[in-house]
Amino acid sequence: MKNKIWFVLFFASQSVGLYAQSVATSPYSIYGLGSLFETDFGPISALGSSGIALPTTSFINNLNPASLGFIGKHSFFFDTGLKGTETNYKSENSSEKRNNFQFSHIAIAFPLNSKSGVSASLKPYSSASYVISNFQLPISNSNEFYNLDAASYGGLNTFDLSYGYKIQKGITFGLTTSFYFGSITNNKDFTIANSITNINKKSFYSGMRVTLGNQIKIDSTFNIGLTLKIPSQITGSKTQSVTTINDTETQYIEDNVASNVDNYYLPFEFGVGLSKSFHKNFNLTLDYEKSLWKNTNQNSVYGEYKNQDKFALGLSYLKKEQSFYYLDKIRYYSGFNYDTGFLSINNKNVNNMRFSLGVGIPIESTKSALNINYSYGIKGTVGNQLVKENYHMIGINLSLEAIWFVKRKYD
Amino acid sequence: MKYIWFLILVIAFFPSCQTDNAEGDFVVGSDYLSISNKVIMIDTLTVNVSTINLDSLITSNQSRILIGNYTDPILGQVKSESYIKLTPDNFYIGSSESDTQTVTYVFDSIAMILKYDRYYYGDTTKTQTINIHQLTQKVKPNTDDTNFYNISSLTYDSKSIGTKTFHPKPIGKDSINIQIDANFGKNLFNKLYNNEITDANEFEDLFKGIVIKPSTTSSSNMIGFKTSSVLRLYYKKNNSDSENSLTKDFSLTDLTKQFNNISLDRTGTIIENLPDSKNKLSSELTNNNAFIQSGTGLACRIDFPFIKQLKYISEKGIIVDAELVIKPNRSSISNLFPIKDSLQVYECDNLNRISKVLTNSDGSQKLAILNTTPDEFNENIGYKVNIGAFLHQEMLKTTGAKSNLILAFPNISKGVNRIILGNQKNAENKLKLKIYYISY
Repeated sequence: MKNKIWFVLFFASQSVGLYAQSVATSPYSIYGLGSLFETDFGPISALGSSGIALPTTSFINNLNPASLGFIGKHSFFFDTGLKGTETNYKSENSSEKRNNFQFSHIAIAFPLNSKSGVSASLKPYSSASYVISNFQLPISNSNEFYNLDAASYGGLNTFDLSYGYKIQKGITFGLTTSFYFGSITNNKDFTIANSITNINKKSFYSGMRVTLGNQIKIDSTFNIGLTLKIPSQITGSKTQSVTTINDTETQYIEDNVASNVDNYYLPFEFGVGLSKSFHKNFNLTLDYEKSLWKNTNQNSVYGEYKNQDKFALGLSYLKKEQSFYYLDKIRYYSGFNYDTGFLSINNKNVNNMRFSLGVGIPIESTKSALNINYSYGIKGTVGNQLVKENYHMIGINLSLEAIWFVKRKYD
Repeated sequence: MKYIWFLILVIAFFPSCQTDNAEGDFVVGSDYLSISNKVIMIDTLTVNVSTINLDSLITSNQSRILIGNYTDPILGQVKSESYIKLTPDNFYIGSSESDTQTVTYVFDSIAMILKYDRYYYGDTTKTQTINIHQLTQKVKPNTDDTNFYNISSLTYDSKSIGTKTFHPKPIGKDSINIQIDANFGKNLFNKLYNNEITDANEFEDLFKGIVIKPSTTSSSNMIGFKTSSVLRLYYKKNNSDSENSLTKDFSLTDLTKQFNNISLDRTGTIIENLPDSKNKLSSELTNNNAFIQSGTGLACRIDFPFIKQLKYISEKGIIVDAELVIKPNRSSISNLFPIKDSLQVYECDNLNRISKVLTNSDGSQKLAILNTTPDEFNENIGYKVNIGAFLHQEMLKTTGAKSNLILAFPNISKGVNRIILGNQKNAENKLKLKIYYISY
């Protein structure tokens, strides 16, 4: 059995290279690490990405490693998903639609003993893919224009290893080590006057970050959780080749010259969450998270970094966990998420608001479920150099539980 | 257990089901693309234009006998005389050394036959008078040199052995004949007839060559002749009634032994004060014009004194293209003084020493090409050359002296065409330089 698990992991790692090469849909994919790709496991997306206080008992909770301390001692979890987004981008004078459908994550979790569990996951972190052809831009200081053809692909992935431990009944601590890695290849052709300049850049990034978590089960209906994300940096290096050709001469300016690229700093972040069940059928989750981006002292071409506040609210409904009727076992989710954004462009924050709905369709008699969620969100506003994004997102994920180490009663 | 196989299937399926729709123009947000690479155009860089005097153009081995004399209304009196070594194929009279008929031959006449090579400059409706003199010095370059220059000259006998005044017909006719002094011819005939001369050295001692000089009073044009021109000696059988004379040719067998001395008398002209060949005369002192004249060595030098300043635009940048347009003074162009459709571009140092000819990436010589397609304001007429790579090198130079450009007509040593070019302050024929720069 275990060998097969490793086989699955091996298989998954083979697919990393592939899924990092998707064309991103955000204009922000043009610079730096690309546009960030947010993904959550199980029904978390449908809960408005809330769940810092939720335990890993029926699905893998990617928000808090301390949740692994509550993993059942016979449960093995597997989670994987797809995500499709359709975004309408609107600026002051144009608008356009783009869509993207891609693999969002793969994760496993299993107990080490009755008090602790581990999980491993792999997911995209950012995408820097875009293609632009024959884009006309003004030449400064003149009435002339130049043409740009650009193509970029690649992005970063994260590999998380988490560990959760129950130190006493109802209190767990956890730790996640996230490894960031990836490369971005960027090729630009500038057609300026009678010349064509090619700039080919390959950037490699890597970094590591630690997240600490805690969960406390106050009573059978009420949990609270806390996470601390340690500030960290993603370091990069690049090799660049520059060639310029005009109708009479070719100049090789740089040939695979290696240099450092600006480091990307991840801020100190802390989050608190609560989870409360009521009327037997309902469960409410509420998270607040703060990210101190301002202290990272880094520059963005788009604007200034601001401290970010995130609010997440989720509500789930389940008629009966154990029921004779299949329909009774379907879970319903709804959520709301608001964040102030970490970028401020021309003194306007790029904030993001999202509503979500979802269902969890149980599979067989375990806690396995097929989760389907839909979100509608608005990001940013239209204004001077600002882009407003209206997006529809559909996520499908398979959250599987297998029972381990239990001797079958019949075979 | 059965899940595992299901999972494997799912995972295998996932990467293949990603799709993207990136067929939009991706215009929204693309303004950010211009941030990492700035593209700017600079058209305000100072360009200094001046006239220089290249005093050592190699005029030997150019395959042209250039003879003439005219007064250019702007630049002064231009004169070219040609020094030629002439040799016979052999040193006997008759069909062979043992020709039994030789004893019967007698001298008839001798003439210089100059064959037009179709090059002319100036007013060819006016007559030209030329004089031919015998050299008193061998056609031999100075020690340690194999060339003659536009300023080289040799001593000659002041007594002319032939003279002719003629209407040049460089296009209509093939050649002109100049009758040469019969005594000179007879002497030459007799030396060969009597076998007094048997080899080239003996011949050169007797006859070192000729110089063909234009008269300084009457001519107003410059004519080019082919190096297949010959000195032809006519002889015939004694007491023969035959009209058919036999000939013996003295020709230019070694093209390095022929050169043109081309001079310009600038007295009283705007460039009277042109300094020596190591210096320059700023166009600001000559009505914002610079001058090029082939043959006499006038050339236009272009300096970019502040090119290194462009380095401070960004940490790393490239001059990807630069278009230099230099415009001729149109009123100075006429049918008598036509211009050429291209200019050769050289790189030189501050002492006007040419280090190389600018070339294209395929190795061919880079020329400034005359654009003659007129627009509404005739603004486009001018010689255009792309000098992006040159300026990029100059911008990045950290050591070594700056380089400048020299513009001259192709075949600078062969003709006497001239042109007047405007500088950046010339209101009518303003020089333009557009530099395209990208930071990376």
